[in-house]
Amino acid sequence: MLEWLKSVVSDPDILSAVRVTFTMAVCSTGIASVLGITFGLMLERFRFPGKKIVIRLNRTLMGSPPVVVGLIVYLLLMRRGPLGPLSLLFTIQGMVIAQTMIITPIICGMIYSYLRRSAPSIREFAVTMGATRWQTTRLIIRELRKEIYFCMVTGFGRSISEVGAVMLVGGNIRGRTRTMTTTISLLKSQGIFTEGVALGILLLLMAFVLQWICDMLQREEMEHENY
Amino acid sequence: MKITDLEKKIGTFRLQIDHLVIESGRIHGIIGPNGCGKTVLLKTLAGIYTPDRGTIDYEGISPREITMLSQRPYLMDTSVYKNLVYPLQVRHMRPEEEKVDALLEKAGLLAQKKQYARSLSSGERQKLSFLRAVIFHPKLVMIDETFSNLDPESEALFMEMIRKIQEEDPITWIIVSHQLEAVRQLCEVIHHMEKGSVVEL
Repeated sequence: MLEWLKSVVSDPDILSAVRVTFTMAVCSTGIASVLGITFGLMLERFRFPGKKIVIRLNRTLMGSPPVVVGLIVYLLLMRRGPLGPLSLLFTIQGMVIAQTMIITPIICGMIYSYLRRSAPSIREFAVTMGATRWQTTRLIIRELRKEIYFCMVTGFGRSISEVGAVMLVGGNIRGRTRTMTTTISLLKSQGIFTEGVALGILLLLMAFVLQWICDMLQREEMEHENY
Repeated sequence: MKITDLEKKIGTFRLQIDHLVIESGRIHGIIGPNGCGKTVLLKTLAGIYTPDRGTIDYEGISPREITMLSQRPYLMDTSVYKNLVYPLQVRHMRPEEEKVDALLEKAGLLAQKKQYARSLSSGERQKLSFLRAVIFHPKLVMIDETFSNLDPESEALFMEMIRKIQEEDPITWIIVSHQLEAVRQLCEVIHHMEKGSVVEL
């Protein structure tokens, strides 16, 4: 079992897939976190006409099928598309764009619902303490750090497990844009199940580690409950 | 501080204060039944709510010199100490460790200094939020029912601390309470509220 895993892990194609998956997930989660948290904060903070529609749209996008997002990004990036001259199709950058479009609404929506619950009381408190606007925003972010982290982990999990969009936009090019999930999909179609399963286990392992981190954070919170 | 023609609507509730004078350097008490608008008045004075109409003349007190203790104080997701020095941090002031420790000692919270603030009992939370409100020497302190959760000893401690502050450097206090006795003992001026307005008895 161990030998078998070792041989799989030392395969350069698989190593490359792991690397591509991580690069893409880290970049897209990073960008999506900055965008999602900013949008979430703004959505909670400001009142503007059409806000309800924006919120509904956000919720719709939270559950948008990645393949559809992939298709849209593909159309934008293809040679004849509006962003064609940038030559981003079949590159990791292109995949990051698609992933960012999938994850940003998820992070934004989650942050927004956390903020709806706790920001008003934090803001009231900040006023009584004489905090400036900027200090208040910083306080809100600090008070919600665990929730923010949780959103980021969710986004990251979404990113490493996604197939459709990265397949369409990345093109599943060996050694360049082939991720762990698209490798599994390919291996399956070639009838090579052993390596597919091994990669699957590796992905599950990564998901487990992520879930474990989340769990530790939650537990820390529970220990702090009033007693 | 002068309040003239103040009006604030929250849902179906309407606060209407035609004229109210809060004399600086004195302890004011506000009593009235539940839902008569005491909290709305305090929150409006504290700048949490913006009035729909009317004026509040703070007579030279800046918004940053006003503080309010809410009924259920908000404690930050951190230690007792960091909660206590937050108002100083906001003002870019360095906390003097000895003074901070002395304050905590007096309130019986020194042992909990490094403890997680949200693990405190409700009485201790009240004490901490009281200390946090006075640590930066505000000019106007409003207290919303904070005495309600306290045992007699802690209540006496609060009163003593308020009296001491008044002896040294008098500031303005507005204290809202159900406990008539407590308010009567401490307050120099008492206002009654009913159905959103201040009434004379």
